Amino acid sequence: MKRVIILTLIVLLAGVVALPAGFAHPVEARQTTVLEIYITGLTEDTMNWFNDTLFPAFEAEHPGVDVQILTGGWGDFDVTVAGWITTGDGPDIIYLGSEYAATFGDLLMNLDEQFQGWEDWAQYLPAAIDTVTYDGHIRGLPLLMSPRPIFYRADLMADPEAGAPLTFADALEFMRANTVLEGGAAKQWAFMDIGNDLFDAQEFIGYIWSAGGTLYYEDGTSAFDSPETAEAMQYMYDRRRVMRPTEDTAGLPPIEGTALGSGMVISGIFPMWAMPATSDPLWNDVLIAPYPAGPNGSPLIQVFIDWLAVPAYVQDPTLAVEFLKFLGSQDNAIALKDVAGFTPVRQDAWDQIKAADPVWAKLLDITVEYGRAFSDIRASAELRPLIFEQMTLYLTDQQSLEDTQQMMKEEYDAILEDNGYLD
Amino acid sequence: MASDARLYNLQWSVYTIIFIVASSVTLGLLARFTARLFRLSASEQRKIFWGFTFAGPWIVGFIIFVLGPALASLYYSFTDYTLGKSIKWAGLDNYRTLLLSEGRQGRMFNTSMLNSFYYALLGVPLQIAAALGMALLLNREIPGIRVFRMIFYMPVILAGGPAILLAWRYMLASNGGFVNEASRQIANIFSGFDYLYRLWIYLMEAFNGFYIGVMRGDALGPLKYTIPAVLAALLLLVLARGEWSESKRVLAWRSAQILGIAVMFRLMSKGLVAQPIDPSWIYGVGIAALVGMLTLNFASVRQRAAAHVLILGALAVVGVFALKHAGFALGAGETWRYLIPLLLVVAPLVISLVGPRTPQTARRLWGAAGVLSAILLVRLAWGQFGDGRLEVLTRYLTLGSTIERPADLDYLQKTYPTWLLSALWFYGAAIAVLLGAALLGERHPRARRRLLRGGLLVFALLAVSSFSDGRRYFQAFLDIAEATGKPNYHFALFHDSLRLFPDRTRVPLWMNSELWSKPSLILITMWSSGTGMLIFLAALKNVPQSLYEAAEVDGANIIQRFFKITLPMISPAMFYNIVIGVIAALQTFETVYILQTPLTRDSLSSAAFLLYARTFQELRIGEGAAMSWILVVIILTLTVLQFRFSRSWVHYEA
Repeated sequence: MKRVIILTLIVLLAGVVALPAGFAHPVEARQTTVLEIYITGLTEDTMNWFNDTLFPAFEAEHPGVDVQILTGGWGDFDVTVAGWITTGDGPDIIYLGSEYAATFGDLLMNLDEQFQGWEDWAQYLPAAIDTVTYDGHIRGLPLLMSPRPIFYRADLMADPEAGAPLTFADALEFMRANTVLEGGAAKQWAFMDIGNDLFDAQEFIGYIWSAGGTLYYEDGTSAFDSPETAEAMQYMYDRRRVMRPTEDTAGLPPIEGTALGSGMVISGIFPMWAMPATSDPLWNDVLIAPYPAGPNGSPLIQVFIDWLAVPAYVQDPTLAVEFLKFLGSQDNAIALKDVAGFTPVRQDAWDQIKAADPVWAKLLDITVEYGRAFSDIRASAELRPLIFEQMTLYLTDQQSLEDTQQMMKEEYDAILEDNGYLD
Repeated sequence: MASDARLYNLQWSVYTIIFIVASSVTLGLLARFTARLFRLSASEQRKIFWGFTFAGPWIVGFIIFVLGPALASLYYSFTDYTLGKSIKWAGLDNYRTLLLSEGRQGRMFNTSMLNSFYYALLGVPLQIAAALGMALLLNREIPGIRVFRMIFYMPVILAGGPAILLAWRYMLASNGGFVNEASRQIANIFSGFDYLYRLWIYLMEAFNGFYIGVMRGDALGPLKYTIPAVLAALLLLVLARGEWSESKRVLAWRSAQILGIAVMFRLMSKGLVAQPIDPSWIYGVGIAALVGMLTLNFASVRQRAAAHVLILGALAVVGVFALKHAGFALGAGETWRYLIPLLLVVAPLVISLVGPRTPQTARRLWGAAGVLSAILLVRLAWGQFGDGRLEVLTRYLTLGSTIERPADLDYLQKTYPTWLLSALWFYGAAIAVLLGAALLGERHPRARRRLLRGGLLVFALLAVSSFSDGRRYFQAFLDIAEATGKPNYHFALFHDSLRLFPDRTRVPLWMNSELWSKPSLILITMWSSGTGMLIFLAALKNVPQSLYEAAEVDGANIIQRFFKITLPMISPAMFYNIVIGVIAALQTFETVYILQTPLTRDSLSSAAFLLYARTFQELRIGEGAAMSWILVVIILTLTVLQFRFSRSWVHYEA
């Protein structure tokens, strides 16, 4: 038996010694030539465009480079990305949502040097550049944007002549005039948010901004105790009480298709992918307008920018940035709109889109006028559940406005301090 | 390029195989070496070598993929580790935050644990009832029974999938959803059902409104005494009625054990992480060690030696732990607070270990244990009965009230709840009476009867008084709200639910309301109770038909046959389903993840979901790891308890 064991061990040891020498070249080749990109939620057509059109074009310009794409759903997005960051081993380019610059911060590479002198930056909306900036340094490239205005069904409005309300007071009047309740249940709602309900954390932040407020004071502490935050909260509460006078009022029946197309919803905040196709005749009666504002604020539209970042674990970001510049070119931005429906962030890619589609023309124009990027949300991952918890208590009559503001302020300050945003 | 990738994969595959073989052979050699140390025969050494070598791949895999990460997570739980930032040792900070409900994270953990217990305590019995009901229906020999069984089992395969959960969301839509529409139609046809339906809505909303108030941390006031008082009174009523029997002794003993474990768990979870640690812990551990040693003096020498090593080891850990806390939490001048109890505890322990083993020494050591217990009790009581807190008992025993300023909101919210005596004393008193009754048993019947009757009277008075005072406490908030014209936020949803009896238009709001989100989740879980059904079905098939025939001959009706034959005979299956169900309920994740909305996120959030959110969304690895270990301890404890108490009701004989 001893001989068998010794022989086995000798063979294995010989294998361990011999193999690295024999395979040294492939390992080296892989590290320098394979470029992996992770983009969330791609359709098959989009994947095909990447694999059959974009990658071969890039590979032709960069001989010896093999570009590969990974895709996944939003459901496992956090776990997937956190796993890569933890192990320091993952794709060279990762897809991130609007508020993620602050979440991952220095775990994303500072790309100032690689993007220095890149003339195309002039074409990008300033809001988009803000989104991909953390601690004053560029961390990636904006890929697409999703403006979220309020869409109104003018043909169903109680007073179509009045137009879209632009102040909180007018908006509440609009809610009262356009909500229909029957037998303890809603029959028609004047408004619906992106989650098919009456409260959303991102929307809440939007109203703080449109009330003229900010999320942070100059010293970096939370401004949740500000009068503007109170104004936004009061507006959301009053709006809720119009559509659900008591907490036991049943909401709308399940909606099949788009909410605005159902005829049961008069207005709402929706991304374009949750709206009817722009060729639908329904658009003839749809108004596109910004969020209403408080007396000291101004109306706005929240713009969500999805972007591609290079994680800090990438050894040499040069090739990744080359690819980002290539993908972000005017031609590819237009192609991505056609293939995947991505709204380009580059303004020079809009001309063709605006000429071909009046709905998009209106949407892009109003975005330029009122757009504000959903960015600089510090410790966003911890802020979101805090807003959910506290606003739920307030909106369902379990906590006063003052106590809610105080709790949000105190706890967000603690979060900011814990995350190194406060001294 | 593709061939490069293939070669790369091939290279790593070969490496992996080499590693597995080498590590397995190494493990075998290590095992053989150990066997040689124990002077086993050459043949046994050979067997051990090959056994461990072939088991090697699994053992190595377990070490790398299970044990390693588990130990790493245990280490992380004691650190302040946020992904992307450096790891800092944090000691018990994470556990302190979670177990003492400190700050937002502690509050959220408390909420999530209460949600998980809701799923376990209400969901599991309902799920088992549904599974058993289905199994009984499907245990009949009728044509097409296999098809029915398949239909009932189908949800197990489908449930948990996002598509099915989203379909449930549609079915549970408050307005126009299938469940509400069907219920409303039936209610429209049968007026009796309509009343029951609305009564059910009323009770469900009131119960869930109350539970949400508790979850949110609204003060219960005197009502916190009502639960232990009612529980104790009911137990004592059962024990005091009729003749004393062995089953009553077991009931008293088991009840005291369960209550004692619950109280100890509560005390330990808070006391162990408190900063600075309470010196009472040193007395507590010392008493336990001393009693353990004295008891073991009757055991064999080998067992006693092993026990001594264990006890001293545990004591050393506790000592170091206490001193470390004393060192960094207090100034050097206060270390004596810890040293005195340590000396008092260690002295009798050393004597018990090295002193003469005479009855006289044993008596002295028992005396020392008694003195230490007295010191501990005085220490605990000192903090509890100060500020006139003992008055709670005297006032309640004379059917009085403890609320002095019912019109003062600040007093009700801040002063009054903290002034009250801890409810744990009520549990403690109940445990003492139950233990006393069990110990007195048959030997001292008169003393036992007096104890039971006296205890029953006291707890009945406490139950009535505390409930009546609790109502006053809750009403006081409503009165103040009415007087000031401001809303009442104390148990707001509970009061709102009680305000009006539901009219004919009212429907459950299911996933759209905090009041209904947890029942929705339980309903969906019940729908997929096919696995339990299958196990019950297998157990029902194994019940000998002869038992039913004999019972029928004896005149037993169907209900008697079910309770006297079926249930005892399928008790192992029931036990299995309960254990698995409780574990699954405490680990509820997918349904919460998919069905939550911003407004129901907290009311649905389970411990497993919060663990996921804290770790993978907020990247707080240290706190997430601590949550997972607390969950492990809770699940392990509950499972061990279930096994411990299963002996009295689970019958394994065929």
